[in-house]
Amino acid sequence: MIDVQHLKKTYKSFAAVKDSNFHVKEGEIFGFLGPNGAGKSTTINILSTVLQPTSGTVTINGYDVTKEQNRVRESIGIIFQQNTLDEKLTARENLKLHCKFYRVPRSKRKARIDEVLEIVDLSDNIDTMVEKFSGGMQRRLEIARGLLHYPKVLFLDEPSVGLDPQTRAHIWEYILKLKEKENITMFLTTHYLDEAEISDRVAIMDHGEIIAIDTPKKLKDQLGGDIIELTTTDNEAAVEEIKASFDRVDVELKDEVIYCKVDNSDAFISTFVKRLETPLTGLDIRKPTLNDVFLSFTGREIRD
Amino acid sequence: MEGIIAIWQRDIIKFFRDRARLIGSFSMPILFLVVFGVGMGGAMESLVTAGTDATDFNYIEFIFPGIVSMTLLMTSVFSSLSIIQDRDFGYMREILVSPVSRVNIAIGKMLGSATVAFLQGIMMFVLMPFLGISIDPLSFLQLLPVMFMIACTFSSLGLLVASLLNSTQGFQLVVNILVMPMVFLSGALFPLSNMPAWVDVIVTLNPVTYGVDLMKHIMIDVDSLSAQVQEEMGLNLTFFGYPVTTTSEVIFLVGFTTLLILLATVSFKRQNG
Repeated sequence: MIDVQHLKKTYKSFAAVKDSNFHVKEGEIFGFLGPNGAGKSTTINILSTVLQPTSGTVTINGYDVTKEQNRVRESIGIIFQQNTLDEKLTARENLKLHCKFYRVPRSKRKARIDEVLEIVDLSDNIDTMVEKFSGGMQRRLEIARGLLHYPKVLFLDEPSVGLDPQTRAHIWEYILKLKEKENITMFLTTHYLDEAEISDRVAIMDHGEIIAIDTPKKLKDQLGGDIIELTTTDNEAAVEEIKASFDRVDVELKDEVIYCKVDNSDAFISTFVKRLETPLTGLDIRKPTLNDVFLSFTGREIRD
Repeated sequence: MEGIIAIWQRDIIKFFRDRARLIGSFSMPILFLVVFGVGMGGAMESLVTAGTDATDFNYIEFIFPGIVSMTLLMTSVFSSLSIIQDRDFGYMREILVSPVSRVNIAIGKMLGSATVAFLQGIMMFVLMPFLGISIDPLSFLQLLPVMFMIACTFSSLGLLVASLLNSTQGFQLVVNILVMPMVFLSGALFPLSNMPAWVDVIVTLNPVTYGVDLMKHIMIDVDSLSAQVQEEMGLNLTFFGYPVTTTSEVIFLVGFTTLLILLATVSFKRQNG
């Protein structure tokens, strides 16, 4: 559905996107994960015909984004990072205009508008001015609008940025519901790790480069085993001690916390706690997250 | 086509909803009517007809088409300002990522601004009885397409300027250094006869001049005026020595509008993202 080959975007001397290649299958949720400024928005802007690539080819739904812009535009829906609704119009008016921009047949407009508002639970607010909507409602209305012309691909650029956690959860509920119902291909960018987790596949981007693409599970499995975070009275001594007396443990000290990577924490922890001589002050065992994946590839946390 | 209608329709809906703007946009033309028409009327009349034996120069009759043109110009340009707001508030992106072609976006926006200006211009005619002037229905009907065409020219000018600017502040500046001189040097408010040569060049190149002139020729019964008064009122325009005809004015305005729309389209294409 989306095919990207040797995509590059350069601004004067600054390379925003460096030689990117990836392929997104129909019906897939594809997540783009990376810190702010990694090149996610630039990529999504090129894919949605807002920006021109410096070089490389991108096709969406079989259409080239530089040569067949209008075909691409008809095939996609976009939910931008910032609000692009007309707040001085009602929800219905915003949706009607969208139908006209996308040439939705006149006879189908009313049914479609009712249908998309139903999906995002805004049917009761159809004639309310958008400026009276809360942030979450506006976001939902934007999602509804993005679906109005039945796009093949829905782009979501940081869809939950600036929303409170509860609203975020709701938005994701709607998006997943949609995916089940319509089998729309979704391309989303985010710097929230939990949001990336729901993707079928994740591309991790940093400094304009895609450094890994796989399912969230496989990416995490690559790291192997579990992560034990511990704090002790003397972290340096503890690190030396662990290195000397335990085999097959990957140990690292970062920001006053010792990170140990082990294959199987259940078997390891009982002997570990018994044998460690430096007194422990804190202990936490967890499965690796995408943040650990990002950390292992770049040596930094995603929030840095 | 549907895209043009949608963009146009949005401006119209918002125009009728925004009553403050509707009333506010009348303040300037009315101020000019009062200051120029009523306040300076007598002085103007004796000034224009000084040294002649003409008595048929009516300044209110002269200035009214000018004030209507000014309303058209100001409203057109200010309405085009809304594309800067659309860009700031993000709505422009919704339009730019849709399959509506760039030239249709420009045309839709131009027609939207022009319609708004046209409606405001028509509303000015409500003031006629208070000024003691009148217009016959036939002339009024003739005037409508001319007013709409002039509004299209001014709107496309505003659109081009707005598409080149990044901020509303910049737009205010342009209004001050472009729009006001265009009004003053168009013959809208006072006759531009016996001007220095360099002013004459500006007047000749100013599109507002021709809009105002077209309206005057329809609204003022030119033939009933003495040749002397016609000359004093600046009704015999010349283009570097050649007399200007109504037909050539229409061709000039249509051509100028087309050129501006094309330039605005290029500017839209350039500013993606």
